[in-house]
Order: sequence, then C-alpha cells, then structure tokens
Amino acid sequence: MKIRPLSALLGVALALPALSRGEARDYIIAPSRPDKLVVVDTEAMAVDKVIRIKDAGPTPMVPVLSPDAKTVYAIVNRSESVVKIDLESGETLARVDFSTPERRVKALFGMDISPDGSTLAIFQTPVKLGTTHYEVEPTSIAFYDAETLELKREAPSPRQITLMMYSADGAKLYAIGRNLHIFDAQTGEMIEERPIQGWENDKRTPPDVLAVWSQYESSGVMSIPFYSFLLDKEPTDPEAGRTGLFTLDRETGESVMRDVEAMDVFYFSTAVNPAKTRAYGAYNVLQSFDLTTGKPIKRVALPRSYYSVNVSSDGKIVWLSGALSDVAAYDAETLERLGHVDLPEGASISLNSVRLFSRPD
Amino acid sequence: MKHLAPANAKAKAFVEAQDEGRAEEVVAMNTLVGCTTSFDPGWEIDAFGALSNLCQPMEADLYGCADPCWWPAQVADTLNSYPDWGADAPNVIEDWRKLQSVFPDAKGRS
Repeated sequence: MKIRPLSALLGVALALPALSRGEARDYIIAPSRPDKLVVVDTEAMAVDKVIRIKDAGPTPMVPVLSPDAKTVYAIVNRSESVVKIDLESGETLARVDFSTPERRVKALFGMDISPDGSTLAIFQTPVKLGTTHYEVEPTSIAFYDAETLELKREAPSPRQITLMMYSADGAKLYAIGRNLHIFDAQTGEMIEERPIQGWENDKRTPPDVLAVWSQYESSGVMSIPFYSFLLDKEPTDPEAGRTGLFTLDRETGESVMRDVEAMDVFYFSTAVNPAKTRAYGAYNVLQSFDLTTGKPIKRVALPRSYYSVNVSSDGKIVWLSGALSDVAAYDAETLERLGHVDLPEGASISLNSVRLFSRPD
Repeated sequence: MKHLAPANAKAKAFVEAQDEGRAEEVVAMNTLVGCTTSFDPGWEIDAFGALSNLCQPMEADLYGCADPCWWPAQVADTLNSYPDWGADAPNVIEDWRKLQSVFPDAKGRS
C-alpha cells in the first residue's frame, strides 16, 4: 500500500494530535516466519525495524516487552528457547535453550515479565526422551532472571496452561488452563483457582476456551472468547450455542465469565480497550462488545482471517493481525478499515502473539 | 469410551488400563509426544457444518495449524518432526505450492 501517516487515514475528525518530542507513541511488534520480529510504527503506518534472530525457526512465537520497552524477549527455536534482544540494536543479548538431548522442553504460549522487569515467567512442558519410549514429565512454571536469563526457581503447575499474566503489583501470576490458576509470584505456590471449564456446569456444557494470544498490554485486561451449549435447549436451537467472554483485570484481579451472544460466528481472540468498556473480537469478522452491558455492538466482515487483535493506547484504533502478513487498522467506533501495513517478504505471522507497546518518540 | 473401539496398540493399552482401574497412569500429552494438542473438529468443515468459519483463505491457516502442532495429521508438524517444512515458503500465499506431503523415515533406517 502507499504509506501514509495514520492521522491522514483517520481524517480530520479523528486525527491524532501531532506528537511532540518525548511523547509516547504506539508500536506493534509482530513475529513472522522464520526468524523475524517486525516493529511497526503505528503513527507512520510503516515498518520501523526488522530484527532477525539466529536459529529461531520455524518461527518466533511469543514476544514479551520489558516494562521500559527497551528489551524484547521471545520464544524461539521450535518453542524450546527464549532469547533476550536489545530492541534498539536488534542484538541478541542472552539465550537459554530449555532442551537437552535427553529431555525436550517446550514453552508454547505462556510467558510474561514481572512489572518491575526483574523476572520472566515461562510455562514449560518437558518430556524425557528414552531410547525406546518417551516419558511425559510434570509441567512447571520456570522463573528466569530477566537480566541474565539464569533460572531462579521452578514451581509445579497444572497441565494445559496457555496464557500467563502478572498482576499489576507483581504479587500474583495468573495462568489460563482448564481453570484460572493464580500463583504467588514469589513462592510459585498456587493460591487460588477459579472455574473456567467448570463455570455454570449445571446450565451449560463446559466452556471451550481458545486462549493462545497474549494481547492485554494496552488495557491490562486479558480477554478470551469461549463457547458452550445451554443444556436446557435442543442443540439445533439457534440460541443453544453461546459465545462468552472471559476477562481478567491485572489491576484489580477481578475475573468475569459472561455470556454475550448466540454463537453464530467464531472469534479466535479478543482484546479490551484501555477504558475497559469495550472488547473486540476478531477472526473472519470484527465485532465490538459493550463490557458494561455485556452485549454486542457492531460487526463487520473482514477481507481475510485475522487471528489477533490489539487496541491502541488511546482506544481509538483496533489493530488486527496474525495468520498472513499484515497489520490492519480499524476505527474502534465505526469498525471502518483505515489501512494496513504489509510485513517484509510477505512472511506469515502464523499464530504468533502480536504485541503493542508505547515508548517516547 | 463405550462408543469408541481401540484402533491400535496404544489405544488398546489405554482401554485395558481403564478397565483395570489404572487410567490415572495415562497422562495428557499436552504438545509433547504425539502433538495431540487439539481434538477440535474444523479442518474440513466448521463447527456449524459449513465453510464460512474456516480460515479465509485456507492458506492463511496452514502455518497456524503447523507451528503449534495443532493439526498434525492435516499439515506437517513443524514443532517437532518437520521444522523445515515451510522453510522455502515464508509467504504462504505465494509459496503454498512448495508445501509438500511428508513421510516418516522407515524405522531402523539411519
């Protein structure tokens, strides 16, 4: 596409104020195959930087920004390594390979950094590789020193955890699995569990949760779509299948499971605006939801499938990405498409988490 | 399990373990051994029995299904066994013809 600043695409009414020096602006960081982290300047609507990571294939999957947005961590190498990268120079500063020839350790989706930037928490699934058989070992959450990537401690955890998020004060670590598991971030002890698959089991089938995209940074609210069927309706009843939204506020710790509409389309992922009043779901359609009423607001068709969705720091732009190789801007109110930025070489983003961060201009 | 019949030795062992009260010895694999991360329907038709909730275009979903080993029967498993399956095809819309079927090496072959 012809590159134009987003303020021009938005027109006069929604034009973003010109950024003065030192003012923060939003960037998006998108992993793409086989070894790239692509930084997109959302104001210039252009690729700002392409970081290539050695031995990262088939793709980097989950990037995590340090609180000062100077460092990015990424799961790479078939989800068996984590790297620490200087965001300015693109240099790899440290790397840890989890696996050994006798033991394969994967870290697929769950990684977050503590709010003070000191600790990187990673959910790991190990398997012992015997000569004649494999032996599944217990899963755990590994806590690494974010400066050196040295392992500080490990804590046992339930299986099947995908996303993780620190509480705003850093005291707790939230983990999404069959339920919401809450850990003491210091000791690694699980201190609380709240139902997800066990939610309203007297009224509905266990919610089917799709939770693999970390995209909660602009709101501090993790939002995940889920799907279930009401038990008191015939399965053929169009109202029997239900779409729900799970939200978890890292500031307050409040989590909510809510039924929002009849299930007539799927959303692969959802994200919440900074005001915490709207949620947006994306896949083959883009849908806005009113979180104060729990009702859908507006839906538009998309030109192709987008897996992931982020909301800008000012709440005005919804950014879609994932699957193929662009990030697309939509007006958060009208859901009108404003433009898009193609990533280099058309390289697929696959199902990698696409993160939004702000830093001084 | 009453509607399912074991189709191979491992499934038979599982059924026997369940009958003998040893089912707790069976551990969910969780992306580790066979890449059985998902039992979702939805590759050929969507959950509504139609096509509109499949990925569009279908090429958009190839790596999303391969990289986490989500659909290891339908696309190659790039997480463990075939990490280079898409090495020559980063732009899946342009390069999808380069994505070929894969075949495991015969056992005992070095």
